[in-house]
Amino acid sequence: MSSERNKHGVTFADRALLVSLVLLTAYCFVFTKKAMPQGSEVKIEVSGTLLYTLPLSHDRTVTVQGPMGATIVEIHAGKVRVKASPCHNRICVHQGWIDSGAVVCLPNRVLVTITTPGRQGEFDGITG
Amino acid sequence: MESQDRYRIALLSAYALALNGFETLIPSPIPWLKPGLANIVTLVTLHLYGFRAALTVTLIRTLLGSLFLGTFLGPAFFLSMGGGIAGTLAMGLITALFPRLFSPLGVSLIGAFFHNMGQLFLAYLLFIQRIEAVLVVMPILATTGILTGAVNGVAGRYLIEAIESREGMSPPSSGGDILHS
Repeated sequence: MSSERNKHGVTFADRALLVSLVLLTAYCFVFTKKAMPQGSEVKIEVSGTLLYTLPLSHDRTVTVQGPMGATIVEIHAGKVRVKASPCHNRICVHQGWIDSGAVVCLPNRVLVTITTPGRQGEFDGITG
Repeated sequence: MESQDRYRIALLSAYALALNGFETLIPSPIPWLKPGLANIVTLVTLHLYGFRAALTVTLIRTLLGSLFLGTFLGPAFFLSMGGGIAGTLAMGLITALFPRLFSPLGVSLIGAFFHNMGQLFLAYLLFIQRIEAVLVVMPILATTGILTGAVNGVAGRYLIEAIESREGMSPPSSGGDILHS
């Protein structure tokens, strides 16, 4: 046993290693949180054309023009809804706030989907 | 390789396998999150009998362990073997380069860290291929690596101490006695 060991046999290098590993891990946590795309994206399509790609984390209200008129889509507090629609049955409006999946308004041909960036064409889970 | 070495390796592998099987009984919140108790045996083997013995024990443990648990040639098998080899290589390398720098605790921490990172890298290459998934899991694996590495390191240290003190009393030629045959 070398002289630098204490009675538990733990060396200075052990402690230094433990501390640096803990720091590295903490940095890892912070780094991955920053590097990860913040939440998801809201995509608004009308008649099959992508009009908007918006971050779900930023509150915003947009108005899109469909064949029947203006549909108002509102993003608030990480959720999205169709606020107003010119269609008759207003299924889209009644669906309310969603944080995953999609809202579809067939009459006005508006499609609001929530996706994770970089994961196009692959469905992890669909609700609604 | 002497027959005594073979005997030791067989015995140590049996211990590692027992721990390997035992820890599958411990409930875990995430299926692949395991304490890696068998690494205690790798640590002790490395300390007492050197790198080749430790690597042999690890290979036997992962191979037979997967046969016992029914994961042979499945994803878990490759990850377990890859992680085991990475951890043992790292521990062997650090003890070869700086023989007196780290106590078993430090060596165990390094082993656990490289075990997890090697496993993650292998998972990325073979199965996931998504860097963001790897980035999410990496800090979690690093944290559990520190915890299990520390626990196993302390356990390994006491085991080594016990074996060495026993070795001191009886001549080391009777190798079987060391591991209470």
